[in-house]
Amino acid sequence: MEDAAAASHDTDHYEGSIWPALIAFATGSSAVGFFFLMKGIMLVAGILLLTASALILGGFLYSDTRNWSSTLSKLGRIPRDTVVGAFPVDINLTIQIIIMTELLLFGGAFAMYFAIREQVAIWPPPGTPVLDDLIARAQTLILISSSILVEWAIWQLKRGRMRAFKAGLIGTTMLGALFPILQFGFEWPHLILNNILTPATNFFGATFYLLTGIHGAHVLVGVIAYCYTDVRALMGQYSPKNHGFVEATSTYWHFVHIIWLFLFALMWQGGRVA
Amino acid sequence: MRLEDFGTFVIFAAIYAASTLGLPKLLFLAYHIEIGVIPTAFVAIFGLPAVFGLTLGQFIAGIGFQVTPIAMLSPAISFIGLLVVYYSRKFNTFAGCVVYVILTSLWLAYMLPIVSSTPPTLAAYSAFAGQSVAVIIGYLGYLIAVRKIVPKNAKIPSKY
Repeated sequence: MEDAAAASHDTDHYEGSIWPALIAFATGSSAVGFFFLMKGIMLVAGILLLTASALILGGFLYSDTRNWSSTLSKLGRIPRDTVVGAFPVDINLTIQIIIMTELLLFGGAFAMYFAIREQVAIWPPPGTPVLDDLIARAQTLILISSSILVEWAIWQLKRGRMRAFKAGLIGTTMLGALFPILQFGFEWPHLILNNILTPATNFFGATFYLLTGIHGAHVLVGVIAYCYTDVRALMGQYSPKNHGFVEATSTYWHFVHIIWLFLFALMWQGGRVA
Repeated sequence: MRLEDFGTFVIFAAIYAASTLGLPKLLFLAYHIEIGVIPTAFVAIFGLPAVFGLTLGQFIAGIGFQVTPIAMLSPAISFIGLLVVYYSRKFNTFAGCVVYVILTSLWLAYMLPIVSSTPPTLAAYSAFAGQSVAVIIGYLGYLIAVRKIVPKNAKIPSKY
């Protein structure tokens, strides 16, 4: 009863809160402020925007400090409640919102790529090396395999075959971990240290590292999410009726996968088109 | 399409795009077979997510090559063909596959001479042969899947 009352109190506390909107404003204004400062334009406006952001974030931390202890104490109990639509929030809705924001991020990044491509007479610009796509092909195979494997794991989970589910999930994590290892451990060092393609080479180099870097960071987040999902699976926190978080993680992973297909087409195959 | 169908959608898009962009060209006699077309019949099992996935895969594969406006219409033609396969699953999936082959072959026979200066007759023959072989291979796989792999209690087409 006390727990229910406390949960209800916390829900009431956050319901209708102004902080999400203010934090969103602070994030946006800090980005604009940094842009102004780095470009050396409207310095006063830039400083004011950054100050406003800092004040808002400081205000949020100050006002929310009182609730931290109760929030932290509940963290261990939250994971059992990820049935679709249940506490803490509808996980399906959450992942849809996350995917939409990611779509905007990558949409902007690809729009930048095409805008630059339109400005350059020849694409890729002269001097751009033809990239060896062996690692990229391996990464594509890894992502396809991991997507199929996680779908298989979820299929097993829904039928109550827990051992197969755990094996599939852990296999997906291991496959997923190979992707950033290949990218940040082999391909990038090979291209940069051998001076084959660097961000300073030309527009293609700059967009290549920006787009693959953003994507690689998202893959890393996906691998971390899978590690967390694995731990919860090993703790026996999923069941045929309680798998919202696994579905959400796999949806995120599939999204990252589809972005990679665009990158593979544009950067490796499209980079060969003169 | 439900959120849990997102995986099927992405996997089919990936199969088409990755096999077209990342695998070497498969030749049967003198004809180039598009490996990405092989899963066409599986639309009858996996439904609309597979239809949308294969269409998106075709679009992604298209932007990897020389982008021409007419070539970018190919996914739309393919989408119509895949819808035919999907809706034909209730009476005869094979008939749907035949319609798909005819539709996409006619489009390729029209488009290839414009895009790549291929002689029209050669374009028509190679398009029809390449599409037919790929779809037949996929259809055989589909038959095996329906008879051997798909669980007995799963929703499967009434006729093959």
